[in-house]
Amino acid sequence: MLKIRNLYAYYGSVTALSGVTCHVRPGEVVCLIGANGAGKTTLLNAVCGLVRREGQIVFDGRPITGLTPEAIVALGISQVPEGRQLFAAMTVSENLDLGAYLRHRRHSKEEIRRDLERVFDLFPRLRDRLSQQAGTLSGGEQQMLAIGRALMARPRLLLMDEPSLGLAPKVVEDILATLLRLRREGGLTILLVEQNARAALKVADRGYVLETGRIILSGPAADLLQDRQVTRAYLGRDYKEFTEGR
Amino acid sequence: MRQPEFEAMEREELELLQLERLQSTLTRAYRQVKFYRHQFDRLGLRPEAVRSPADLSRLPVTTRDDLSENYPYGMFAVPLRDIVRIQSSPGTTQRPLVVGYASQDVKLWLGLLARLYAASGVTPEDILQIVLPPGLANWRRDLQAGAEHLGASVIPDASLSFAKQLMVMRDYKTSILVTTASLARHLLTVMERMDLTAAALSLRAALLVAAPLAREVRREIEAGFQIRVATAYGITEVMGPGLAFSCGQGEGLHFSEDHFYPEIIDPESRVPVPAGAPGELVITTLSTVAFPLVRFRSGDLTSLLAGPCPCGRSLVRLGEITGRTDSIFSVGGIKVHPDQIEALLQEVMEGFLPRYRRRVVAEEGLEVLEIDLIVAEIFFSDEIKALEGLCRRARRHLQENLGIDARITLKEMADVG
Repeated sequence: MLKIRNLYAYYGSVTALSGVTCHVRPGEVVCLIGANGAGKTTLLNAVCGLVRREGQIVFDGRPITGLTPEAIVALGISQVPEGRQLFAAMTVSENLDLGAYLRHRRHSKEEIRRDLERVFDLFPRLRDRLSQQAGTLSGGEQQMLAIGRALMARPRLLLMDEPSLGLAPKVVEDILATLLRLRREGGLTILLVEQNARAALKVADRGYVLETGRIILSGPAADLLQDRQVTRAYLGRDYKEFTEGR
Repeated sequence: MRQPEFEAMEREELELLQLERLQSTLTRAYRQVKFYRHQFDRLGLRPEAVRSPADLSRLPVTTRDDLSENYPYGMFAVPLRDIVRIQSSPGTTQRPLVVGYASQDVKLWLGLLARLYAASGVTPEDILQIVLPPGLANWRRDLQAGAEHLGASVIPDASLSFAKQLMVMRDYKTSILVTTASLARHLLTVMERMDLTAAALSLRAALLVAAPLAREVRREIEAGFQIRVATAYGITEVMGPGLAFSCGQGEGLHFSEDHFYPEIIDPESRVPVPAGAPGELVITTLSTVAFPLVRFRSGDLTSLLAGPCPCGRSLVRLGEITGRTDSIFSVGGIKVHPDQIEALLQEVMEGFLPRYRRRVVAEEGLEVLEIDLIVAEIFFSDEIKALEGLCRRARRHLQENLGIDARITLKEMADVG
């Protein structure tokens, strides 16, 4: 579904990715793990067209490296950004509506309403808080809203950046379980970036380990969980943070 | 097919998978193995320079001597505490060959062996008997573990006499025999002596390993046992037998390209040959963690056969092994370098290396190394006993160090001519 070849990405004069090749098959949950600054978020941003990039990104057989972020969303790729980046002063309802922004011209109101129902079905708490300002929600609810907003664009590929950031372990578990449900029921494909590598590897099918802008290891998530270098470098610390609830 | 998602993968997808694994292997090798870092730096290259598998040809090759120079742990890409197996074999240089396995490597290795068995038609219902010489201890262990992983009932090699091996084969109702071509032929001659016919056995197929299988030998064994013969290609440096395997339908051996990248180069110029042309097989590991090999020269002369195979696998096929680029030769599946023979003879002769002739002969199918030592004055002795002792010592020395059977005779200069 997503094929990336020799991808370079830059922030000003800094090279954040230097020749990354990876792929995501339809229906897969793939996670990117690595230390801070390894290039995980950059990779998501590069797919969405949010950073300067070179190389080949092909989505469903179509090269998207030259497209604008809007055009990329329209093709079916949505991102749930790190730190949620909700519109804090707007209500839950307005935030969700913005997620469907690009669809208003092409899809009927009825369709959009159906998708909204689906989001409420996944996250019933959002329905209860429809007219509440997003900024007043708890961390977990904000994350649900961010996912819900991304789903309103009706993506086939969902890019998720650090969904567990700042959340209690139980909430993280719920959110990851919802992701699996989305994949199971909706055939959604997910590319996940997680600082909490252990939690991510438990829900993912496969994983890539990034180190200073290069992929250094890849494989089935279960194998990476057992990899002693991965355990030492990325699981030990995270696990502690995870169990201590950060 | 055990893993159709990889064995019959669309070529385009396979190539993307190869590229991503190749790039991560090169990055790990560069960052974690001094030898490779020096090799890259010497040419002013970084792993990033490889943007497609074809770019590999810009990198230098790795040889058995390189492995020997970095003996024992210099080629390992993970700390020793992550290594779960340190596999040794006599190798073909003065030092043992050392290969490290991390736990994922063991898993990969088992998967490749199970893939090979499945392609050979072996199923969990089979009773599989392994008959391999002690000199092929690594192959014994590899093939035993792989068959157990597949779920077959395995009869490991128990160092029985050949007659007892055949008795086991008949009485235990062995359905699959795993051995070398040399031993299979020998077993046929022993069967004849025992008046045991193929019909009395339950044998269905044989997997012949450790040495290239000549067509006529294959036919002879198939006819003798009235079975199908499968074969495999592997080298100890690169995870043993699971590298390439026959499928029973198309020509050649399917190369596990999802985990190893094959190239064929001109052994002289080291330049890749055009597609399909013969040359030396060079292998780059794509998935191994502990012991990445970048462009390892196998020394085997062969070619790659592209295009679809009736079995449905898309993996490229290794053609017939037609020879070697170096003087390494095989005695019943055990690889030997002439330098090793000379060094060992010299040790027995207290530093003196006599002129000698050697050849591999088959005695009742069994491959034996025949060495004629040319008698020179320096150790000419009327005491026959002393000379016989010398031959015995040399024979034992070769057996102990290389695991090969040798027959050593003294020849006078006049006999040799």
